[in-house]
Amino acid sequence: MSTECQTFTEKYDLLGCIQCGRCTGGCPVTVRANLNVRRFVVDASYEDKLEELAKLAEIWDCTACHTCAVRCPKGLKPLEVLLGLRAMIIESGKVEPTVRDALQSVLLEGNPWEKSRAARSDWMEGLDVKIAEPGVAVENLFFVCCTIAYDPRVQATAKNIVKILNKAGVDYAFLDESESCCGSEVFTLGEEGLFEMLVEDNTEFLNEYQAKRIVTLSPHCFTTYNAHYPDLNKPVIHYTQLLDEMLKDGRLTWKGDLQKKIVFHDPCYLGKQGGVYDEPRQLLKNIPGAELLEFERRRERSLCCEGGGGKMWVESESKKERLADTRIKDAKALGADIVAVACPFCVLTLEDAMKGLGFEEEMRVAEIMELLGEFVEV
Amino acid sequence: MKTFVCIKYVPDTSEAEVKVNPDGVTVDSSRFSFDINDADNYAVEESVLIKEAEEGEVTVVSIGPKQSDVMIRMAMAKGCDQAVRIEDDRIAGYDPLMVAKVLAGAIKGQEFDLVLTGCMASDDWHMSTGVAMAEELGVNHASMVKKLEVLDGGKVKAYRELEGGLMEVVEVELPAVITIQTGINEPRYAPIRGIREAQKKELKVVSLDDIGVDPAAVGPDASQVILEALSIPEVVSAAEFIEGEPDEKAAKLASILVKGGLV
Repeated sequence: MSTECQTFTEKYDLLGCIQCGRCTGGCPVTVRANLNVRRFVVDASYEDKLEELAKLAEIWDCTACHTCAVRCPKGLKPLEVLLGLRAMIIESGKVEPTVRDALQSVLLEGNPWEKSRAARSDWMEGLDVKIAEPGVAVENLFFVCCTIAYDPRVQATAKNIVKILNKAGVDYAFLDESESCCGSEVFTLGEEGLFEMLVEDNTEFLNEYQAKRIVTLSPHCFTTYNAHYPDLNKPVIHYTQLLDEMLKDGRLTWKGDLQKKIVFHDPCYLGKQGGVYDEPRQLLKNIPGAELLEFERRRERSLCCEGGGGKMWVESESKKERLADTRIKDAKALGADIVAVACPFCVLTLEDAMKGLGFEEEMRVAEIMELLGEFVEV
Repeated sequence: MKTFVCIKYVPDTSEAEVKVNPDGVTVDSSRFSFDINDADNYAVEESVLIKEAEEGEVTVVSIGPKQSDVMIRMAMAKGCDQAVRIEDDRIAGYDPLMVAKVLAGAIKGQEFDLVLTGCMASDDWHMSTGVAMAEELGVNHASMVKKLEVLDGGKVKAYRELEGGLMEVVEVELPAVITIQTGINEPRYAPIRGIREAQKKELKVVSLDDIGVDPAAVGPDASQVILEALSIPEVVSAAEFIEGEPDEKAAKLASILVKGGLV
């Protein structure tokens, strides 16, 4: 056990913590759940407390938004202590059935949504999509994401980008149904063994393609590849970065007149984890007739929607107001007509909140690609 | 406690469109995902819980292709000790009696206290393999079991969930076959490290000849079942939308329920 504790303390550099409290001070979840990440960083350095700590319900409240890591003056990642405790529960096998089924689906079908691998590229039906082949050179290799591939609510992200790329004559190719989960949520749910396997398999798989770069549609894949895949042989960007390049090169032809106020919600995995803040805003500003508003909590202070960190499969015990509800109320108070996002999880959580609050008639939650699909010539 | 747990590798037909092949008696499974049969998953968990409480060992028995090894390894990662997979295309797999004979053939001649299996399979829904296997093995059985207690003196108390929500409680002398209903427990997750660790456990792949079962006794010629045709149920629309103010809607709904003899 002492070896295990040493590993835990060393793995998360627990003794590096100076207990300044910036992690807890910035943690968005503290307003709604009984989670005190600073306390966990201290307690986890005691070997005899680990098993007890792993049983606390609040370890599953963390959304892995990384606010604590961004704010830590010592460069620690306090959230990863919680992920380490989750890993102990995962190893015991006694997890929520929703978590169990999602993880098992990643192993068997390459996605957490319990969908068949054979159906992964069904979204392409009726579209002229260029498919990647190993060894055939291409500039932009697209990685779709499990949620965008299977969930009809967010498939427009992929469909619209294909139409825009075809019109602009961009050199691109999409992966077919052999694409597998990047492991973002596997990592944050604490399934370390499965995540290691995905990193190994995906690195080998993606390195076989001769592409200048990988373009991801989800910020979760974007950040996961950049942060956890050291042996990938090509850079990884988010689609908003590619479209911003196209915008600057004059390759997007705008149409229509929106005449609406848009507020952009910075997804945690794109902004505070990926450092991409300006490109989505540039795209939105250029939509004809769009007025871009800003949340008070924006950029690295953006409020998490609670869609990450495996939270799509774990319900919080707290019955207090969801952060997505807070976000939508803030948008309403700003007078926004559209809450624009660039992440499939943010679309799903914020839209649920908007519907739950009864704002469906007067507001809209839209992925940037949905708006571009309406206002860019294809 | 020496336990055998029989599991089946089944397609998930809830998502993919089901298409009947031109032969009329098989379905196109190319777009299906496959996994352990749901009720069998609960049987695996129950067998592991019993092992953890009573000690002993658990052997997995399954009829299936090589692709099903991952399902078997998962069961071993959860705590089952060894496995036997029967791979033989001479088995009339559509007939639960033939399947029961094969599974029993793999168990016969070995000591056992319990044989657990799911009460039904989500591909053909026969709900008869388990009890037929008890007959083949010449032992007691209890089906549709929602709660199981191991008693002293070589007995178990089985809580059988019957129609209308009735719970029948029976004491069964061991050895016995118990068919497990879903919900008896909460199946655990098989972490990937556990699955890798389970590679060290023995998984024997055998043919009918290896387990001493006469292929002629479990093949299509021996089967009393002839699979004539499979078809997709015709889609008919019978939904009625009730319009009007809430009190009008309530009155109309009540009238429909009364006319239909539903209240």
